[in-house]
Amino acid sequence: MQPTAPPAPTPAVVAPAIEVRHLRRSYGDFEAVRGISFEVHPGEVFALLGVNGAGKTSALEVLEGLAPACGGSVRVLGADPVRDRARVRPRLGVLLQFSGLPGDLTVAETVRTWAGTLTDPRPVDEALAQVQLTGRADVRVRSLSGGERRRLDLALALLGRPDVVVLDEPTTGLDPESRRQVWRLVHDLVAGGAAVVLTTHHLEEAEELADRVAVLRAGQIVLAGTQEEIAETQPATIRFTLDQDAPEPPRPAGVQVVAERPRMEWHTRALQPVLAELLAWAAEHRVVLRALDARAASLEQAFLAVAAGAETP
Amino acid sequence: MTASTAPVRPVAPPSRVRRVAALAAGENRLFLRNRTALVNSVVVPLLLVAAVPALGLSSDVPLGPQLILTGVGVTLVFLTYYNLVTTYVARREELVLQRMRTGELTGPEVLLGTAAPTLLVTLGQIALVAVGVVAIGEWSAPVDPVLPLIAVLGGAALMTVLAAVSTVFTRTAESAQITTLPLVLPTTALSGLITPLSSFPDALATVARFLPVTPVVELLQLGLGGVTWDGRLVDGGAAWTAALLPLAVLAGWLTLGTLAAIRWFRWAPRR
Repeated sequence: MQPTAPPAPTPAVVAPAIEVRHLRRSYGDFEAVRGISFEVHPGEVFALLGVNGAGKTSALEVLEGLAPACGGSVRVLGADPVRDRARVRPRLGVLLQFSGLPGDLTVAETVRTWAGTLTDPRPVDEALAQVQLTGRADVRVRSLSGGERRRLDLALALLGRPDVVVLDEPTTGLDPESRRQVWRLVHDLVAGGAAVVLTTHHLEEAEELADRVAVLRAGQIVLAGTQEEIAETQPATIRFTLDQDAPEPPRPAGVQVVAERPRMEWHTRALQPVLAELLAWAAEHRVVLRALDARAASLEQAFLAVAAGAETP
Repeated sequence: MTASTAPVRPVAPPSRVRRVAALAAGENRLFLRNRTALVNSVVVPLLLVAAVPALGLSSDVPLGPQLILTGVGVTLVFLTYYNLVTTYVARREELVLQRMRTGELTGPEVLLGTAAPTLLVTLGQIALVAVGVVAIGEWSAPVDPVLPLIAVLGGAALMTVLAAVSTVFTRTAESAQITTLPLVLPTTALSGLITPLSSFPDALATVARFLPVTPVVELLQLGLGGVTWDGRLVDGGAAWTAALLPLAVLAGWLTLGTLAAIRWFRWAPRR
């Protein structure tokens, strides 16, 4: 997998909802986004991961039409989100990482006001029910909890029945139950054919939602693909406990021994053959591999390995 | 591969007027719930206008037109301009402006909708002063009613644009008390609103005529009382001839202000 090549899309039977080609964005001399490319198709969730300052929000702001690109191109539903704003906006829902709402309007008034500016808004009741805020309709925004405010923000992002949704850290500040509600919402959106781009610091969120993932580091995509493809860039782990009097285990080719007996840990990029060889050896020597645990690398392991620059894929 | 990936829904987008009206309705509700802003916007300008006769300031125009002229000038500067600077800055710092830009509203629509309550109060205040002038028996028919109308509408537009520009160097709503001073004090003092331009030295009066508030005052003075900047009395036709320079200056400031706002206005706080 090439670090900055566009991630392989799912079978392309329809045109991408979002096309980003060699996107660049700078602040003065500082280049925040350095030539990234990716596509997102309808009915797909694409997650941009990266540590703070990796360039995720800077890239999303171009997608959202809030900032022009310094280089490269961005197409949302085939149109430039800045120049063809009037065409893109009615079909784009945006949840910013940080945003404010007037505190002295009630929840229902806020949604009603926002709905009045949209082409095809959902009914207010439906929008509030979607984010479980029906019971808070008459409460002023300043009295909402942080999680409720975030859900209201999400309701506004989805109010116009968007075909493309950009969610910048959608569950930051939410409790576990609210987070799961948001996940269900995203699943529903995708089932309805929307294309979703999200950023998150919660890797389990990316694992739960994303069909494809790109890891940004210093403004560049350093890893991209499906979760399985990304996990495969890191070695799998085999752990087992071996008594001191057991015979010496085999050392299959390509295995890196990370810890010796009694609690042994191997890293390998060929999990299945190595595990098979280990199990065959154990059967032949009648050795019990206590607490045997074999697993492929997780998205988190891959992220930690590349996001902060520990390893170049 | 086609450019678009999903069928476009056959729903007509809301008109610009409907979008601005929707935002303005929310802003008006917010304004009515903010008692401090309400009192400052309604009571303070009226007190300032009421103080004019008591101060016994010299003027080239009769008391009735002078009260209206003062009412318009004071309202535009102390209410429209100052209120809008603080409102825009507060909305920007609270990240509300950036949020609004993510929807279908365009930038100018966001600014106009946000300004709606202030602009409505501005027009209400001016109407109130006019009614007051009628009530105290000082009303006289304007020499030309179009010129004051241009002055009020053009002045309100100019104050809105200059407020947007002023937010560029205003980091917080509190600091607006300082950053608005260049327009509020010297520009107003030299506009002919408090002291007639005819009493200024020629050189100073010539410079003052090119400041942003002065053309509004000149147009009002010409339209309401038929009085030129140097104190001459003119009729309707001559008033329009005398109005050419202030109209050009007003248009010039509007153009400059709009270009500056487009170039430098910030929708989000500095990072």
